Parts: sequence; structure tokens; C-alpha cells
Amino acid sequence: MEEKKILEVEGLETSYDMIKALKGVSISAITGKLTCILGPNGAGKSTLLFTLAGILNPDRGKVIFEGEDITNQQTSNLVEKGLALVPENRLIFPHLTVQENLLAGAYARLAKEREIVEQDISEMYARFPVLKERSSQLGGTMSGGEQQMLAVARALMSKPKLLLMDEPSVGLAPLIVGEIFSIIKQLNEEGISIVLVEQNASKALEIGDYFYLLDQGKQIFGGSREAILKENIIKKAYLGESAG
Amino acid sequence: MGIGFIDILQSLIDGILFGSIYALIGLGFTLIFGAMEKLNMAYAASSIGGAYVGLGIATLFSLPLVLIFFIGPIAAGLLSILVYLVSFRLIPASNHLGSLMASIGALFFIDEVIIHETQGSPLTFPELGIFSEAYFMLGDLGFRGDLIFIMIFGLVSMGVIIYLLYYTRLGLATRAVSQQNIAARLCGIPIHATNISTFVLAGILGGFAGCLAAASVGVISPLLTIPITIKGLVAAVIGGLGSIRGAIIAGLLIGGVENFFLLVRGVNERDIYVFLLLFVFLVLRPNGLFGNEISRD
Repeated sequence: MEEKKILEVEGLETSYDMIKALKGVSISAITGKLTCILGPNGAGKSTLLFTLAGILNPDRGKVIFEGEDITNQQTSNLVEKGLALVPENRLIFPHLTVQENLLAGAYARLAKEREIVEQDISEMYARFPVLKERSSQLGGTMSGGEQQMLAVARALMSKPKLLLMDEPSVGLAPLIVGEIFSIIKQLNEEGISIVLVEQNASKALEIGDYFYLLDQGKQIFGGSREAILKENIIKKAYLGESAG
Repeated sequence: MGIGFIDILQSLIDGILFGSIYALIGLGFTLIFGAMEKLNMAYAASSIGGAYVGLGIATLFSLPLVLIFFIGPIAAGLLSILVYLVSFRLIPASNHLGSLMASIGALFFIDEVIIHETQGSPLTFPELGIFSEAYFMLGDLGFRGDLIFIMIFGLVSMGVIIYLLYYTRLGLATRAVSQQNIAARLCGIPIHATNISTFVLAGILGGFAGCLAAASVGVISPLLTIPITIKGLVAAVIGGLGSIRGAIIAGLLIGGVENFFLLVRGVNERDIYVFLLLFVFLVLRPNGLFGNEISRD
């Protein structure tokens, strides 16, 4: 059986702050799988995710989501189509309560199906008990790990088919990182396709199905876990060609 | 004849009641600042402009004068959309200075249009009917009916704003956009539509304040624009930019301080002390009364 692609990116070029951060990236994500994008700082990983989510507009290239060209579409449309991003540094709403953060995540559905949204919030509380304890607390007063859970839960409130995650482990204690990764794995097993950007390559290798390596705005590798383990390519990407 | 304690109390009461107008304008500044982290300097100008349009339409079509208080705020809301478009929407989001300058330009543009249309002379503005004649005594203290009306009206408007912000979907969107713009977009919240709603809401509020200010003195003049702009801004800054209750409390405070100095130092010196109050706050408490209650990450 041929595997369906939920996301296809062709020759994407995006500039950010006058600098060309993506110089022709072509990747794809298979439906139901966990695709990891690895690479050093400044490789263009976050720019790639921002472009996919419609926060940045590409100079050139195409983004295809479930067979439909979504290049240059508004973020609000993309969220309704089932594409959600958990951004780097979580970006939770600091002065909204945990409950309001979750409501905001379901903004598009809030007008029509308020009751279903309330049910979904209860489900999120069951999945993340710490959020239930803190439901009336302001988002900005929570710890980094709790904020990360909230950011994931907020993105899930839009019922995404494809979840983009930008460095969910950054700045968290190892124990919490383990917890976050097991949540990611579980979400993937429940059927949500995931594109995960990570600097923590060893953690990503534990859970990913497919891998891409970005360096200086270009992808320098793409393949399965077996393929990436076989080549010494990660070391090269992180330490530079000469170190390999 | 010296100034007695009762005189001081009386002037503070009158001032605080009139301060509701500064509170409303300060609230409008703070709403827009909260949403975009930008000052809309044309805010009081579009508020007064709305009151002018209300007066103009009511006079032109011989409508009952009470309708000015409906047409004025709506017109101010529409003017706010125009200000949003020319001073904010069409200028890149990162260009804070550009938006500031453009909104100062819009302030003077609106003022100049008013001066041109009215040949520079003030117009009579209808007073608040029975409220203007009413006067209540409580012991030695008197309460002007129109000022009480302004206070009650101001409090009700503030209540409506707080309800909209904290208990509706639009309010959730507004607060989300103001706190974390990118995350709000990622939640599927339409940024520009939300900003326009904030401008319209603030504009309607300002339109009411403009009508009330003109009604309380019985005339409307473009000369009202700058003092109301400055005092509304001072209220927003002293309250802590972005803080709703801060703007309300500071607006009332400014009304009281201004009227107190009017009593003890006269009309020529009055405003000097209001601006001194601004400097005192900027130096000693730069975040205002309620600014930065929770530090942002």
C-alpha cells in the first residue's frame, strides 16, 4: 500500500528579517507518521514551521496539505483545515487563565459549538491533570513544563490532523522532557500526524519515523531512522563538515 | 475670603465626577494600546469628530437632539476605522514610530476638517436636559445633575467594556491578540478583524465621552481636542498603559486634581499641575498604578 502524504513542501524559500532563511527546502510528511526535522541553530527550522503555519509568506515554493495547495493562505484558514503549530518558547497567553488559553485554542469553533468545546476542555484536563489543577490560574504564572503542556493542549483544541511542534524540549528539565516526548508519541499513536522540530537529536531519534536534516536553509538529508543511524550525518550537521 | 474644607471637598467631588470623561478617553487609549502596543494619538480627535458629526446630522435633518448621543458614538466608531486603516493597517506592524506619527497627523487632519467646516467658531451643543438643571444637596455638599449623569453613564460604559472583554468571544480574541500576537494567529484568531473591533469599540466609547464633554460645557469646539487627548493619555499612562481599572481610577483622579488646582490656583495654572502629576508618575512609578502586575515572559 502506498503511503499517503499529508504534507508536501516543494522548493520553499522564505526570507526573515531581510535574510533568506530557507533556500529551497523540499520535504514531505506521511499521514499518521512522526516526521522529525533536525539541525543546528539558525538552520531555518523555525522559519520552515512558521511558513507552513502561514505566519510567514514564502518568496518561492509550494506547500501542499492533504493534496491542496495552501501556499500563502491565512493562518486562520489553515487552523480550520486541521493544521496547528505549537510554537517555540510555547507562547502561551500570560494573562489569560489556563481555561481561557484552551478556549482561545478552539477560537474558530467557539461560536458554533461551544458545548463541544467545553467537553474537549474536559478531555484535555483528563489528559493533562496538571492543567485541571491550574485551570483558573494565569498562564504566565506556570512553570516551563506546565506551559509546554498548555501549549500542546491549546494546539490540540483546534482538532488538528497535522501537529507542527517547534522544539518542545527546549529549556525543560530532563524528566519533563521525557514526559513531553511520551505525550508526543502517544498523540502520534492516536492518529495525529506530527512534524517535530528538535535540537535534541537523541530524543527525537527515539520516537521519530522519518528524519530530515536542515543546515543553513537547505535540507542535507532525508530518510528513515535506519538510514539516519547508518550514516554519521547527525554529527556532521551539528559539528560542521570538518569535524566529521 | 479663604478656601474652606467644604470648598475643597466640593471641588474634588465635581472634579472626580467630570473625571469620568478622562476615564473613558483613558480607557480607549489603553484598550488600543493593549491590543497593539501602539498609541492612537487621533483617538480623542475622532471622539470629538464623532460628536460633531452627531450634532451636524441632527441639525441638518432636524432630528431630536437626544439622537446626537446615538449618532455621535457611531460616527466616532466609523472614524476610528478610518484612523485604523490610514495610521495602523497600511503601515508595517513593526514601524511603531510610523504609526505614532501617522496618528498625530490624523489628529490634526480631523481638527483641521472641523475648523474648516465650522469656520473656526465653537458651536452650541445641547446640554443634558433635565440633568443639567438638577442639583442635589447632601449636607453642605452639592452634586450637579449633569455630572452625576456623566459619572453613571461612564460607569455603565466601563461595565459594558469589561463585560465584552472578559465574557465574550470577541473579548477573548482581543485579549489574546494583545498578549501574544503570534500565538493568537496560531489559534486561528483573525488579527486585523479583531483590531478593527477594538478600534470600533474604543471609538464608540470615545464618541460618548466626546458628546458628554461637549454637553457638560454646552459648546463644542476643536479646542477641546488637545486637552482631552493629553488628559486621556495622562490617565492611561498614570493608570498603567494596558490596565483598564488603572485608566478608570487615574481618569477620576485627574479630574479631581485638576479641579482642586482650579480652585486653589485658578484656571491659568490648572493644567500645569496635571502635567506635573504625569512627570511625578513617570519618574517614581513609570509603569503607572496598575501596569505590569504580572511580568511577561
